Amino acid sequence: MDGWNFIKLVHALRRVSVSISSQDILNAQVCLERFPDILDKQILKSLFIHRPQDSSIFETIWRILLENRESSVQDYTGEGTVKTVLEETEDRFGIGGHGAGRGSGGVSLTVKGNILSSSQITDLVSFSRLEEMISNGLEFEEIVQTILVEMDYYTWINSNDLAYQRRQLSEDTWYKHQDSRSSLIQEIRQRVMTAQVTHENSWEPLARQHWLIKPLSTLTEEEKDLVKSSIQKWARKLALSPGSRWKTSRRGSIDISRIIQKSVQSDGNIFYLSYRQRIPRAPELVVLCDVSNSMAAFVEFLIYMVTCLRVRFRKIRVFFFIDSVWDVSDFVWDNDLDGVKQEIKSWGRKASSGFTDYGVVFRELAEDKLRNLSSRATVVILGDGKNNYRPAQTEYIAQISSKVRNVFWLNPLESEELNEPDNVMIEYQKYCTKVYRCRSASDLQRVVKDVF
Amino acid sequence: MQSSPLDLAQQLKEQGYLIDEESVTTLFLSLALEKPCLIEGPAGVGKTQLALALARTEKRRLIRLQCYEGLDLNKALYDWNYAKQLLRLQLAKTEEWNEIKVDLFSEEFLLTRPLLESILSPEPVLLLIDEMDKSDEEFESFLLELLAERQVTIPELGTIVSKTSPIVILTSNNTRDFSDALRRRCIHIYLTYPTLEREISILKSQAPELSDRLAKDVCEFVARVRKLPLQKLPSVSETIDFARALNTLRKETLNYGELMGTLSVLLKYPKDIAKLEERLENWKVEASQRR
Repeated sequence: MDGWNFIKLVHALRRVSVSISSQDILNAQVCLERFPDILDKQILKSLFIHRPQDSSIFETIWRILLENRESSVQDYTGEGTVKTVLEETEDRFGIGGHGAGRGSGGVSLTVKGNILSSSQITDLVSFSRLEEMISNGLEFEEIVQTILVEMDYYTWINSNDLAYQRRQLSEDTWYKHQDSRSSLIQEIRQRVMTAQVTHENSWEPLARQHWLIKPLSTLTEEEKDLVKSSIQKWARKLALSPGSRWKTSRRGSIDISRIIQKSVQSDGNIFYLSYRQRIPRAPELVVLCDVSNSMAAFVEFLIYMVTCLRVRFRKIRVFFFIDSVWDVSDFVWDNDLDGVKQEIKSWGRKASSGFTDYGVVFRELAEDKLRNLSSRATVVILGDGKNNYRPAQTEYIAQISSKVRNVFWLNPLESEELNEPDNVMIEYQKYCTKVYRCRSASDLQRVVKDVF
Repeated sequence: MQSSPLDLAQQLKEQGYLIDEESVTTLFLSLALEKPCLIEGPAGVGKTQLALALARTEKRRLIRLQCYEGLDLNKALYDWNYAKQLLRLQLAKTEEWNEIKVDLFSEEFLLTRPLLESILSPEPVLLLIDEMDKSDEEFESFLLELLAERQVTIPELGTIVSKTSPIVILTSNNTRDFSDALRRRCIHIYLTYPTLEREISILKSQAPELSDRLAKDVCEFVARVRKLPLQKLPSVSETIDFARALNTLRKETLNYGELMGTLSVLLKYPKDIAKLEERLENWKVEASQRR
């Protein structure tokens, strides 16, 4: 590997938050020289990647820097037509494509309804089309969505899912389709990323796509798993950290056996008093989640976080709401969130108009649930504050705020979006101990540290 | 010392451990650079087994430290033998204080724990720090000196440097994250569930009594089960147990209709078993349609 590429790789990895020390670089140089038979990529990946979640970002950068260059240049100069690359396979008659439009005249996945190989996927998107979208100012996710729509992706997956539900597709074939879907999306994301990096001539687009920074609503399934596993780790760390629970003494109670043990080291004289280890504090937590459609992507992670944190709290109550309140404390203690999602769906259909009304919700809470809350409770509200032009009825949140110890509001919107006409967040803000932006995994990490 | 990753893979295979190309390259590089190796991955994918096989391959004595919450230096590194120190004090009533105070903190009264044992060992050893994620962060910080410098510091005795440079393997089920400082000092391997072909090979090497057909059927079945949204996916060791259970019941092939009662060998949560039983009905129908 030539030195210039090596430096570019290290720079790119550092730019996207992968920590590479001077010692790592030295080790890499030693190994590249000592073991010429081992692939450069394998050596560098082994020595530079210290976390499993950084592995995919290494692959992306490697591909952009060292694998894609020549082929990309050829593609980039192409005439801009999308090649039809689907070949007929065993299920050539498809599984019921509905003949939806084919966007800009590109390839339609519903035409033959077949399974794509990864080599075929690479030819699906032309670079000139990507450049056009980037030049038009479209964001990463918007470009990915546009491409998917243009190739009839959603019709394709819906018809597959439908066929599977009707048992026209075997489970094995369905799983193969699932794999094809993720390969297709991954490939498209990769190509959009390459185009953005080339266009901006910077690694910034890749840094923006780091799973910790990007909005929770745009995470891929793989990234969702990463966030969940991180939440689990943060929660565990938190559950073990000492708290400020009331004790008989400021430093805790004296541990006689440890004092005797230590005094032996100093000829039986007591020099230091030992104290029992502090125990985590265990207050009461009340979580209110807006489960309307606009909040779905965020609720999933908050519920997961609450599930992980339950060892830390003496008592946790969870309420879902849209325009009325629903106590779900009994549902959420399972790490499998499918059940909760199902409950939200069925409850949403039965008992709600689908439009959030914070005023009504806070009134219901203040009138029916408040008397059961302890004055030491912490209330956490997850909502965007969009009240659909209904009255804010701030007196009820004021009542709740005066009864409990803290009210924290986690809002996934950017601060400028809070000024939109149907948003009542500004009015509620003064009754909250603090309002946090809770849009990405890193926001969530900050909330875990500050609030819990 | 092995000459190449292929050589190392072959030696591990002789010890009954089949490893994939990427992992063996990383392991080879960690041995070549004499750096600790941090192996992460879900429970039951063979992290500890890899360390055991490596110890046999390298012909090193294995010293194992099993981590748990609350593990401290007294359990991991050293402790003073208080009872013996008290006895010494009893016998020393007639002696001068200046003479005995040095004795009390000499190596004679030192109880060595696994970490110190690996540092003091005159012959080369492999130190396995198992399930590192279960230990506390304080312990993790303490390990940094050992991992980077192969030395430990005991306040009463000073710094002790390793004589034979142990191979250090850390394993983790990934339930908590480690600090950058610890990760930087290690070479990282992420082990995950094996591919179908590799799992068949593992199964055949671990349970040679199985017929080829049964081994293939079981691995295909387990691969299918791992695609389900279960609380705990079946590990390689559970695949082996499951195959052995079927073999004990004299099954030559895996038949979806005859698995009741054996699924608890594969899955550990009643909810997961119920999910699989429900799915088995569909698989049975599909299988009969194929016939």
